[in-house]
Amino acid sequence: MASTGQQPSTAPSAGRREMMYCHECHDEWYRDEHGIICPECDSEFTEIIEDGNDPRDNAMHDMGHDSDSDESIPSLEEAPPNSHPLHNHNPWADDDPEDSDISQMRRPGAQEINQIRFEPVGPGRFHVSATIHRTISPAALGQNGNGPNTVGGFTSFLTNILQGARPAGQPQNPAGEGQANAGPRPSQDGQPHVSRFPYTASARLRPRDSNNPEPRLEPVDDLHNVISGLFAAFGEPPGGRPGGPDHNNDFDGMPMNPLLGFFAAMSGGQHGDFVYSQEALDRIISQLMEQTATSNAPGPASQEAIDALPKRKVTEEMLGAEGRAECSICMDEVNIGEEVTVLPCKHWFHHPCVSAWLNEHDTCPHCRKGITKHDENAGNTAAGGTASSSTSAADPVANMPGAFGVTGEGTPSNPYIVPGTVPPSVATDPNTNTAQSQEGATESSSGGGITERLRRGWSSGPRG
Amino acid sequence: MSAGAKKRIMREYGECMADTPPGMKINFDERNMTKWEVLLDGPDQSPYAGGHFKLEINFPNEYPFKPPVVSFKTKIYHPNVSNDDKGSMCLGLLRADEWKPPNKVVAVLRLIQTLMIEPNPDDAIEPSIANEYKENRKEFEKNVKDWVKRYAK
Repeated sequence: MASTGQQPSTAPSAGRREMMYCHECHDEWYRDEHGIICPECDSEFTEIIEDGNDPRDNAMHDMGHDSDSDESIPSLEEAPPNSHPLHNHNPWADDDPEDSDISQMRRPGAQEINQIRFEPVGPGRFHVSATIHRTISPAALGQNGNGPNTVGGFTSFLTNILQGARPAGQPQNPAGEGQANAGPRPSQDGQPHVSRFPYTASARLRPRDSNNPEPRLEPVDDLHNVISGLFAAFGEPPGGRPGGPDHNNDFDGMPMNPLLGFFAAMSGGQHGDFVYSQEALDRIISQLMEQTATSNAPGPASQEAIDALPKRKVTEEMLGAEGRAECSICMDEVNIGEEVTVLPCKHWFHHPCVSAWLNEHDTCPHCRKGITKHDENAGNTAAGGTASSSTSAADPVANMPGAFGVTGEGTPSNPYIVPGTVPPSVATDPNTNTAQSQEGATESSSGGGITERLRRGWSSGPRG
Repeated sequence: MSAGAKKRIMREYGECMADTPPGMKINFDERNMTKWEVLLDGPDQSPYAGGHFKLEINFPNEYPFKPPVVSFKTKIYHPNVSNDDKGSMCLGLLRADEWKPPNKVVAVLRLIQTLMIEPNPDDAIEPSIANEYKENRKEFEKNVKDWVKRYAK
């Protein structure tokens, strides 16, 4: 067992005395005094103690370190190289290798989030904007093939969150993203790469109105928006684009998965016919109001109603106390005997003047009273005069555009039953102005005609 | 523009000449009768007193079925006049949905004078000025006079 191959530095010097060791009784002695047989137990199982091969290693703890302070006994700490498989392993001699790894990892990707701003933009609404700066030096990327693992870790963390929103078939491996994220860039220009991610979001804080249906709530914040923005800041879009930190990833410039794109489009508030924010809704409403500036005023009067307005020759009585009057529209003086059009409110004008106004607004130019009442009456008279089978002439609904005004003893299974003959009550319908009925009998109303034809068609249809 | 509208504008001008509200001068160009230039003195009982304001009244082609458009060419510190290069004024009978054909330009001019004496902060086009008018009348009048001195002398 004795090993003779020694390093020159540890070879026993000529003057050194060889120590013997007994494996039986653990005794030690000098070889030149007692030979190689153990003087205590006469055992031959002895060994010469050498620098690189100290049989007492195994028995150290039993024996304790004896008083032998011979400097030739090698200390464990100065064990010769290659004699120990872990000779280089010294946890105390150097920095913890993991420490150095970590410090290396920190170096390549320095991120900071700054400029977080909350700005109120209205009652219950605010904007949050933040800018994240990330600097990656190419040298760090080169030396550390695995790149900024701190980023990768965060990336994978976010990826786990995002997995639900990810369409199937996209790589879901966070490690893959870490690779793509950290891979050395071909365009190493020696400059630190800075990716900047401007993140803007808004939210609203307002109480719910439990009494009214609310428009669909906008999400307080789009998680996907935030996350994909963060990905952009970290140099890797969630879709796995082989871009990198050297791309200035503006949020709108990056390819997103469809869901993310959908959310991003919504947050703009101008996407199709729906809006997700109060602000956008207000904008649309005011736009609509501008488009119809006279929306508060009634719409135009129908031509029939205008034509049906009674015309009258101006009498002395109509001129009033001053004895002179003018059409307040054209401001022309009106003389006795001139024909004017009288509105239901008794205000009168030149017919061309007032019809020009009524074509835009169903109001009296003076007092704003509508002529629609008159319109209804005209419709009644027309229907009463020409439609022998009408049962609903007095029904205002029948005079609305698109209304058929069919009433009858219809049932849900057969709703088209219409009385074929005039009930006697119609002739004495209290709502029908009989005086105007006679007057309007000569006029034809296209609306009544159509209604009439439809009724005839229906009554002959289901009833066979 | 229809002949009727022109006729009416001519008539209205004649009426204005016959009965011009005090502190008002109307420049009328027959070649372009749809644009009136009005020189208006700040009413004595208002902080605008001493100022001379130039207004423009534009008659739309649909006049009198659409209201005339009033704009201040002289800058004026007023809740109902827009504080921009248009100086537009849109309230009361000047509003499209409030206008009715029997209204006359004289009525419009009187309305403007009335509004200079008593602004209508509840129908303001300049909310900040309206607010000041309501809550800090002294500061409002100081600003009015300041602007009169600066722009309306």
